[in-house]
Amino acid sequence: MMYIVFIMSVFYVVGFIGFSSKPSPVYGGMSLVVSGGLGCGIVMSSGGSFLGLVVFLVYLGGMMVVFGYTTAMATEEYPETWGSNVVVLSAFLVGLLMEIFMVMWLFSGEHELVGFYFSGLEGLMVLGEGGFEYVREDYSGGASLYSYGFWFLAMAGWMLFVSIFIAIEVTRKRY
Amino acid sequence: MNPLALSLILTTLLAGTLITMMSSHWLTAWMGLEMNMLTMIPILMKTTNPRSTEAATKYFMTQAMASMMLMMALTINLMYSGQWSITKMTNPVASNMALMALMTKLGSAPFHFWVPEVTQGVELTPGMILLTWQKLAPLSLLYQMATYTNTNLIYLSGLLSILIGGWGGLNQTQLRKILAYSSISHMGWMLIILPFNPTLTLLNLTIYIMLTLSIFMILTNTFTTSMSSLTLMWNKTPAMTIMLMTTLLSLGGLPPLSGFMPKWLMIHELTKNNSIIMPLTMAIMALLNMYFYMRLIYYSSLTILPSTNNMKMTWRFTNTKHTMTLPTLITLSNMLLPLTPMISMLE
Repeated sequence: MMYIVFIMSVFYVVGFIGFSSKPSPVYGGMSLVVSGGLGCGIVMSSGGSFLGLVVFLVYLGGMMVVFGYTTAMATEEYPETWGSNVVVLSAFLVGLLMEIFMVMWLFSGEHELVGFYFSGLEGLMVLGEGGFEYVREDYSGGASLYSYGFWFLAMAGWMLFVSIFIAIEVTRKRY
Repeated sequence: MNPLALSLILTTLLAGTLITMMSSHWLTAWMGLEMNMLTMIPILMKTTNPRSTEAATKYFMTQAMASMMLMMALTINLMYSGQWSITKMTNPVASNMALMALMTKLGSAPFHFWVPEVTQGVELTPGMILLTWQKLAPLSLLYQMATYTNTNLIYLSGLLSILIGGWGGLNQTQLRKILAYSSISHMGWMLIILPFNPTLTLLNLTIYIMLTLSIFMILTNTFTTSMSSLTLMWNKTPAMTIMLMTTLLSLGGLPPLSGFMPKWLMIHELTKNNSIIMPLTMAIMALLNMYFYMRLIYYSSLTILPSTNNMKMTWRFTNTKHTMTLPTLITLSNMLLPLTPMISMLE
């Protein structure tokens, strides 16, 4: 259980291999849910409970539902684009093999174990110094988006607004 | 496109480039690049044929990959240095990865494959925006971060761009692809001088943008997109045919015209730094570009292909395309060479 973050990050990458194996919305949807959940776990283990729940709400519950599931309803379920099922399975196995090789390389040799010890990441991943204070840091990070970082918020909101116009223009009927 | 949607999208395109050019924090710079990419897609898809859709998809795929690499580079930079400034990327992994990402966005070799295909697949006006405005944001980032990158990578990419821009354009008859390969070649010239004198990069960018805008606007006014329609241009607008000739010679870098100024100053700067073989190779490879511009000039203004008699006397309709900025641009792109001492104001 000490290495839970490492295991979560390995399965996070395996989820990515899952949706890159085949351009099908079914594969994409399931793998994104799995990877999103594990990513949320990684963020939460660094102390960001609020941001992890934001991942679930906004990413999986907002973006994924709106764009991912509507794409899955609109397009073909299993497109025959990248060859037969053998090709897809071998692509997945090659990706899995690469991940296993990387994990084995990580534990061989005398170098520093990058990506294994996640203890010092509270400062990096979530705003704050990593200690237990009276105010949780990730809440203050979320709040500072509205105070110090209002320009980022304005631009992010503007881009979301414009991207709806872009999506409508792109999906307009073309003769 | 609906005028309100088009004005919203063009405003955001302008805003994206300006945000990148004005930022000192990597995150806002990346944000501006993403804004550029996203709003460029409906502009590329303005016409309704599948070719434009394919070109927009290719553009999105390559630029999204470049943005991903850039984001990875700047998180690696954050991990090793703890700060987000653009000018101080001291970790070599981060700076080289960011360099490769920005070269992909610019369309330099070996990441140039999307440029001819995307430019050919869209109309002349979106192609013009693609080859001129979209170069501003990545070059402003490269201008700031070039001091810490591996200069061998910059020279390799620049030299390869000039070679590929020269040789690639030789077999083309479509004007948009010729201008795409010309853009690749000019990016190569801009990249090579970046470690030596970044001011000359900006000068080359300015003159290249003026020249490319002039040529695209001449082509838009006469509705020519291939070499075969170039041969009919003498009939419709003889003045523009002559202007196309001088602007193309300027794009190739011929002396009394403006295009000679950046090439001359760059070769001068390179030889001042004791580098002889590289500017020699660059100058010789620029001749390849000059060859296919000469071919365009030959077919548009120096010869008249055999045609029937009634084609020699066409009915002159009123021009419906606006030519408001064209005389200024053509004058600037042909006659700026005597103003060379004024580049000290760019310092």
